[in-house]
Amino acid sequence: MVISVHPGLIPPSAAESEIIHLAIPYARLNIPALPPPESSGPNDWPEALRAPDNGAAVALLRAHLATRLRVALSDRSDVAEAQIEDFAQESVLRVLSQLERFAGRSRFLTWASSVAVNVAFTELRRKRWQDVSLDALVEAGEQLANETLAQDPASGDEEDRTRLLESLREAIATRLTGRQRAAIVGELQGLPFDQIVSLLGTNRNAAYKLLHDARLALRRHLSDAGISAETIRTAFAP
Amino acid sequence: MNPLGPQHVRELIRFVGLTRTRELNCSECRDAAGELAERRLAGLPLDEALERVEHHLQLCPECTEEFRALERILREAP
Ligand SMILES: [Zn+2]
Repeated sequence: MVISVHPGLIPPSAAESEIIHLAIPYARLNIPALPPPESSGPNDWPEALRAPDNGAAVALLRAHLATRLRVALSDRSDVAEAQIEDFAQESVLRVLSQLERFAGRSRFLTWASSVAVNVAFTELRRKRWQDVSLDALVEAGEQLANETLAQDPASGDEEDRTRLLESLREAIATRLTGRQRAAIVGELQGLPFDQIVSLLGTNRNAAYKLLHDARLALRRHLSDAGISAETIRTAFAP
Repeated sequence: MNPLGPQHVRELIRFVGLTRTRELNCSECRDAAGELAERRLAGLPLDEALERVEHHLQLCPECTEEFRALERILREAP
């Protein structure tokens, strides 16, 4: 069977077979047609963006990302058009500085859109930073092991749940540091991750590791207490 | 800051239940989000690497928010 694929869809990259493979079900899924090649851009975006005379490619990428950000943010009343243009501009700079991270496993504009969405949402999340101090988080972390878990109305409903909550309370009290408890509270409160990072006075990788280590420690404690992974998954499943 | 309640305890238990020794971080998730979004939209199978991206999404509300936005872009401005 011969399937005609629009030439603009296929950048001649190392992952060509992957991209052709993807293109076929797109046609079957009846999603809107891809734009013609002259508007979607160069066949090899990374090469065009790396070239010394990359002005046209950069301008086209900025226009594409602005269009895509308008779609992504269309139901947000707090985002003005000028801000979308700023996000698009910032996104182009980010894309240019991270070109080596594009592995060719998706279409280039899809990857660039994921970068743009991250730029925009990271900035918009800053507005959601809550007025909270590290001390308040640490204090709430101490309470987590005591009042919060003790007050759970499910306590005593059922043997599995009671054991799970009791072991979790013990694990939070004995296996975690104050900073880990504070970070968990921040996460559960829905604080933007960058705010947790800032409150802890650290960087994203270290904060992620701190939280991951905390979850692992809780999990190991529950496991040592004989609580199965299945029980953890199902005891409170809706 | 509102006090923590039973729903937060449920969420913590869900996080603990999902925890694996090796997990992707946000930037590793973002690197492969485009591939995952395209393959999901096309109904194509996922390999283990993309399954790990899905696992991170279950644990990370911010990456999930961005992934949904990316999916919307692919649907509405492909
Ligand atoms: Zn994430």
